[in-house]
Amino acid sequence: MSSEIKFKIKRQDGPNNSPYWEEFAMPYAPSHNVVSALMYLREHPINTRGERVRPVVWDCNCMEEVCGACTMLINGVPKQSCAALVDDLAQPIVLEPLTKFPVVRDLQVDRSRMFDALRMTKAWVPIDGTYDIHVHAPIIDPKVQQERYEFSRCMTCGCCMEACPQYHPDSAFVGPAPLGQVYLHNAHPTGRFFRDDRLHSIMGEGGLTDCGNAQNCVQVCPKNIPLTTAIGGLGRQTTMQMFKDIFMK
Amino acid sequence: MADSLNAHFLTRKIHSLLGLVPVGAFLVFHLWENSQARFGAEHFNEHVVEGIAVALNYKVIVELTLACAILAHGIYGLVIWWQSKPNITQYHYGANYRYYLQRVTSLTTFAFIIWHVYHTRIMVELDEEVARDLFTHMQRLYADPWIIVLYVIGIVGATFHLANGLWLAGITWGVTTHPRAQRISAAACGAVFLLLTTIGFHSIYGFKYPYEGEDQPGHADVIGDPTASDLDQHRST
Amino acid sequence: MVGGGLGGLWATLRIAEAGFPVALFSLFPVKRSHSACAQGGINAVLDVKGQRDSIWQHIVDTIKGGDYLAEQPPIKSMCEDAPGLIRTYDRMGVTFSRTPEGVMDQRLFGGVKNRRTAFAGATTGQQLLYGVDEQVRMYEDQGKVEKFEWWEFTSLVLDDNGACRGITAMNLETMKVKAFRADAVILATGGLGLVYGRSTMSTNSTGAAASRAYQQGARFANGEFVQFHPTAMPGHDKNRLMSEACRGEGGRVWVPKQIGDTRDPLSIPEDERFYFLEEWYPAYGNTVPRDVASKAIYKVVRHMGMGLGGEDVVYLDLSHHPREFLETRLGGILEMYETFKGEDPYTKPMKIYPAVHYSMGGLLVDYEKDETTGGMKTISPKNHATTIPGLWACGECDSGYHGANRLGANSLLSASYSGRVAGDAVAAYLKGVKETCESTPESAYEQELNRQRELNDSITRGDGSENPFTLHAELGDLMRSHVFVERNNAGLDKALEGIKTLKDRFSSVSLDDCGDWTNQSLSWARQIHDMIVLAEVIAKGARLRDECRGSHYKPEFELKIPEGKYPGDPEWDDYVAKWKANNEKWMKTTVATYTDNGPEIEFTPFDVSVLPPDKPRDYR
Repeated sequence: MSSEIKFKIKRQDGPNNSPYWEEFAMPYAPSHNVVSALMYLREHPINTRGERVRPVVWDCNCMEEVCGACTMLINGVPKQSCAALVDDLAQPIVLEPLTKFPVVRDLQVDRSRMFDALRMTKAWVPIDGTYDIHVHAPIIDPKVQQERYEFSRCMTCGCCMEACPQYHPDSAFVGPAPLGQVYLHNAHPTGRFFRDDRLHSIMGEGGLTDCGNAQNCVQVCPKNIPLTTAIGGLGRQTTMQMFKDIFMK
Repeated sequence: MADSLNAHFLTRKIHSLLGLVPVGAFLVFHLWENSQARFGAEHFNEHVVEGIAVALNYKVIVELTLACAILAHGIYGLVIWWQSKPNITQYHYGANYRYYLQRVTSLTTFAFIIWHVYHTRIMVELDEEVARDLFTHMQRLYADPWIIVLYVIGIVGATFHLANGLWLAGITWGVTTHPRAQRISAAACGAVFLLLTTIGFHSIYGFKYPYEGEDQPGHADVIGDPTASDLDQHRST
Repeated sequence: MVGGGLGGLWATLRIAEAGFPVALFSLFPVKRSHSACAQGGINAVLDVKGQRDSIWQHIVDTIKGGDYLAEQPPIKSMCEDAPGLIRTYDRMGVTFSRTPEGVMDQRLFGGVKNRRTAFAGATTGQQLLYGVDEQVRMYEDQGKVEKFEWWEFTSLVLDDNGACRGITAMNLETMKVKAFRADAVILATGGLGLVYGRSTMSTNSTGAAASRAYQQGARFANGEFVQFHPTAMPGHDKNRLMSEACRGEGGRVWVPKQIGDTRDPLSIPEDERFYFLEEWYPAYGNTVPRDVASKAIYKVVRHMGMGLGGEDVVYLDLSHHPREFLETRLGGILEMYETFKGEDPYTKPMKIYPAVHYSMGGLLVDYEKDETTGGMKTISPKNHATTIPGLWACGECDSGYHGANRLGANSLLSASYSGRVAGDAVAAYLKGVKETCESTPESAYEQELNRQRELNDSITRGDGSENPFTLHAELGDLMRSHVFVERNNAGLDKALEGIKTLKDRFSSVSLDDCGDWTNQSLSWARQIHDMIVLAEVIAKGARLRDECRGSHYKPEFELKIPEGKYPGDPEWDDYVAKWKANNEKWMKTTVATYTDNGPEIEFTPFDVSVLPPDKPRDYR
């Protein structure tokens, strides 16, 4: 076991600056994850050349792999840095910001495009109001519930977008995660009343048809969300919607 | 409110349909047609080439339609290719490789088709010799091993692009939605790929090593084929 | 609206629905809020399990769980409204787990007898948060809500009468502070776990926002009541919760009998292991309530020095169970241990220790009692109002509902409910508001902005020797040493002294980053200061409260039930008399008021009309 933990971090001072690499080393201790190591480094921000530098900036919150904040490329793989154990990683551990989103600073990126996509795709179940109307949602088949649950664990972390060859700053594609949310809400017994709107929102430019079925999304999703099932299911739904729009207007 | 009947969506759907019906179906027919080369020059020139020409009274229309379909599918395919940022060096998954190959084969196939149409179809118009005996023209071409290499690349690319396109169409049209369905259809499309590629190779082999001069295969061999028997009737009238 | 967890999003929805524009401020995209971390479920009496569960029983459980230290009318209203909240969540599309016939399932949770907890797999908080997040996004789409994500609330803007007229907030990219006018401000800024350095809370749960309001005059109540979860896996970054279910499914807690025994745990024979919970509490064994388990583990480690390898950990052992059994019962939870610890809990005992989990205390909030029902008035501008006019608080950063200890699965309920009530209160206030913030002179905002800018400048220009991250680590060590599971006055005095020193040291803090773009060090340094302020509130409240109540445990003042004595025995009557006298003295809200010399604390009575304490709890 090495007595040090070595890092090679891709840094960038601001959105318009050019990136550069900086290397750090810290004393080894068992059970470190990437975030806890970064926390150590922000308290002792000294690079391997012995220079005291500005602490590395990154994004984190829950530290339990449910909030999605701390996603970055770790040795080239997009994942949550809080769940990336140092003991499992080859060193030097190479940290890079996600490449598909604008860098804010160092390892922090701006993923607002993902949240905009959730808005664009109308990923919600419209209700009359947040008051009690004294009835529950209709009875739901537990199997449907279980399938919906898989999708509702999506934490908008961006791993699927990172791995998607169709999603990048120059493409209009909404990416896999928002498509999963359309599928989720279309499967709800009352959410389906608004499926036309949601389907229409993904039948234009940047919508479902821009998916290339490389299926990397489902491989890298930290929550094992069956994104390709959603994409296939939406293929069927949009096909039916097309016929509906042609013949039943 | 966006509508499903917008240019983008319809273009994508038409692109998919074009790839399947006129282009894909023609490819299957064309591969079969050329695999008949194995039965010799006379059979090929008179029964297949001539026969089809006569059977299809609207050859110009058919050819123009096909040309337009291929061009439309190909040019829009270039747009799709332009939008992709392949990442096979980072993500080593089967579907990702196929995604990449689909785009690579779109380019190889498109380029091959242009060259191939020039050498076979357009030469027929330009050169009477070729028009009279396409079979020999092909044989002469195949004398150059590099041409064979080109044809192998062209055929494999086209058959892969079609077979994988079938798999993709299953997903995008919503036939195969679940991972298991997609695995099964991947196997089926793999079989289609192998079958079409075999037929394609068979035609190269046919031009190189036809039965000619030896045992002429009886018409019985092709009699079961409706096209062939139609031709027979046509000739006798 | 400051804060975008469950409470903040609920309040946002209600105000937007009432037709008033809302600006929602959050440190990060609201979907990443700490509410997502709640796993277990949300309590509401739906009585779908044939147990004749009743709302009254929920009220009783909540009041008794909190050891009678909460205003009771709001508890009554919360429990009554809980089923309606669940139905609303259900309509929003929240993926609650279902019974085979497709209706909502309910599970059993700690501290109660009935199956009353609705849940969505093992991520109930995440599911509820996403439910309201989606509704807010819908309103955002309709232009009713404007989000300011990546903005940090820095202070309130108060007018000459001390009323809240807006806020200042710092853009976390440009680090520029800006003032925003508002007729009403709600804080829903969550818990304060990071005051303890490492807790089960998210890295943004620093309590800084509540502390800032407190420093500007809002009262802070019951700070000393902090819930400890007995079984958390300690980490360098945070302590991750290992569900109570591990003990429920037969997990055994132990340490080697021999201090300093460094053998592999599996090679230690049965008779050389000290199963202290089983030995001390033969009736309940490992399934004793949370606070009992926490105290026992603390005792073994800190008083008996038996922590594993001299460290603050003991074993929680499931390795005697077959893998299949554990996989079906505890799969998700054990997977988390494996993910974050890198050790296999199926074959190796887990290492755990109590950790700070929830803060019952918070900003002091008011309510209007409905005399006809005995509950809280459904809609009143007084509900969840802080002591600063124009400022409301809801969620974990307020002090309502949980008294001295929180019942499991009541936190998601109180966060949602208090958010809804606070939203309604503000909407009611806005309908009747006569003097809007437009009448507040610009100078009030300018003045506050200048104060904030100066504060930022003084920190970034500081060239002392103190590192803000080191200060935080020391603050955490101090709090975990002296203001933890078990408290004594000597230790608390030490803590208060230590906090004073930290306060002084903060003035010579210097940053490694003095830039003006996404300067996390600056933001963090400011929060450290505010955490130190809160730490003092917690420690001082604990120092002054000479009794044991709920999570606040001071052994020297423990009232013990006389052994073997029952009602009718004179010793029992004597005990009850002492218990009543203790309540008379201490059943009061601890209210802290900020002064530059530390908190001034008073103890104020509250409404116990729903369930007056008549006899002590007796679990024998």
